[in-house]
Amino acid sequence: METEDSFMNTLGSTSLPASLGRFSRGLWGLWLWKKPVFLFPRMGACGPQVTGKTDSHNLLPLNERDLEEQFVKGHGPGGQATNKTSNCVVLKHIPSGIVVKCHQTRSVDQNRKLAREILQGKVDLFYRGEDSHLHKVRKEAEKKKRERKKKAKETLEKKRLLKELMLTEPSPKAPLSRDE
Amino acid sequence: MWLRFMKPWGLRPRGEKWKGRLQSLLALQPLRLASGCRPPSVTARALVNHWAQLFEERGVPEARESSEYIVAHVLGAKTFQSLSASQRCAPITDLQQEQIGELCTRRLQRMPVQYVIGEWDFQGLTLKMTPPVFIPRPETEELVNLVLHEQSQRCQEFRRKRTLAHQSHSCPLILDVCCGSGAIALSLLSKLTQSRVVAVDKGEEAVQLTRENAQRLHLEDRIQIVRHDITSGVNREQLLPWGPVDFVVSNPPYIFHCDMAQLAPEILSYEDTDSLDGGENGMSVIREILSQAPMLLKDSGSIFLEVDPRHPELVEKWLQSHPDLGLSLLATHVDFCGKPRFLHIHKSRDPGSRRTQNV
Repeated sequence: METEDSFMNTLGSTSLPASLGRFSRGLWGLWLWKKPVFLFPRMGACGPQVTGKTDSHNLLPLNERDLEEQFVKGHGPGGQATNKTSNCVVLKHIPSGIVVKCHQTRSVDQNRKLAREILQGKVDLFYRGEDSHLHKVRKEAEKKKRERKKKAKETLEKKRLLKELMLTEPSPKAPLSRDE
Repeated sequence: MWLRFMKPWGLRPRGEKWKGRLQSLLALQPLRLASGCRPPSVTARALVNHWAQLFEERGVPEARESSEYIVAHVLGAKTFQSLSASQRCAPITDLQQEQIGELCTRRLQRMPVQYVIGEWDFQGLTLKMTPPVFIPRPETEELVNLVLHEQSQRCQEFRRKRTLAHQSHSCPLILDVCCGSGAIALSLLSKLTQSRVVAVDKGEEAVQLTRENAQRLHLEDRIQIVRHDITSGVNREQLLPWGPVDFVVSNPPYIFHCDMAQLAPEILSYEDTDSLDGGENGMSVIREILSQAPMLLKDSGSIFLEVDPRHPELVEKWLQSHPDLGLSLLATHVDFCGKPRFLHIHKSRDPGSRRTQNV
């Protein structure tokens, strides 16, 4: 049975009493292996039900054992006895050294999920470089921006030509031809 | 700068009307910045720095976090980090400054940030917060995850074995005891779209706040909110409008009575102490819930409780000394700080069976 050692190490605290070894690490060990949509209905972007581009969401999976998480220091007794509002989560991927800090929401649970999503993208970029999802998304966005600019330029050019034509040609009500 | 200070903090006597106290706080003259104390430039960042410094000087804990939450709230955001760089540097209007000043004045009185801004987030929901109703703690989000996980496991088991009525497993019935602001009840309702919840609390303010939060989230059609003191005995009629439940879930008052005096002023002076004080050994409400659970729970049902880290052993011993209840502790789960915090109890399948360890 796995102890909470890796988890607790993040807080730099003293080692756990042996009796805690029998307690469950909870659901976070399961999160990155199988993500039931049921539990995380908002994680649709990373879920198997995404259609369309088949490779765009195949991010490298993160092993919870490779992660080190830190919360507010000095949380005190915790639970009902404490009312701390520092819900910032600092998440480190030990093998790559990448650290993500998330305080996007006021919910610790949401910040933990978001931090893992962000970290997963960054780790994917780190290891897969040009093949990574984030890199592809960025390239796609740049490509679309270039195409939009090109189209806008072409439209402007057409308008300019049309304007020139209208200025040089006689008006429709004028006599058909001065040469007649 | 001047401000009338309150008396030194102590244990708030029971029965003291918090509303009266709050009104007397609001009647205090607002904080006036003497000339020379104005922040150098009126951006969000500058205001945060200004108030954080003031909070720190006045001994208000989480000075920077408090300041950030208040400023972000007035600017329409949940957290300061979620504001864009341009928003943080944009000039603040006079009205916004005034609003921030008023809210920060309350924080100077050690009012919890959640009451200052009147709301807080839990499991992705934004809930209204009003004193003295208990403010949901971040640990309790994991309690909700445990219930969701158990429900998910049951659905998978049903699909595998097809031994249990599909109806009950896709439409779980849940009883939330000591519901407070409705955090647990409403987050379960929003995640389990076919579920129904009975939320119980002995406090009138809690019942009203849960009702209001349910309406704000459009979940009122699947919740029944009951004002009832469970320590006054079982009331099956009130607690089981839809019959026995699949889950009894609770974050009951579990603080040891002797520890109450050590609580921070934010908690003692603003939150209902009845929602915290679990009596001797913090077990008085826990014992009531466990005593009544066999009558409220389906045979396949589960009880999930949030407790003090000292409770797992105490509860296990107590259940063993009350075999007539037919309950056993299935697992203990830790919170995000690694402390034993959550108990999963169920009806013993085999009266002589020992608790299995959840590896």
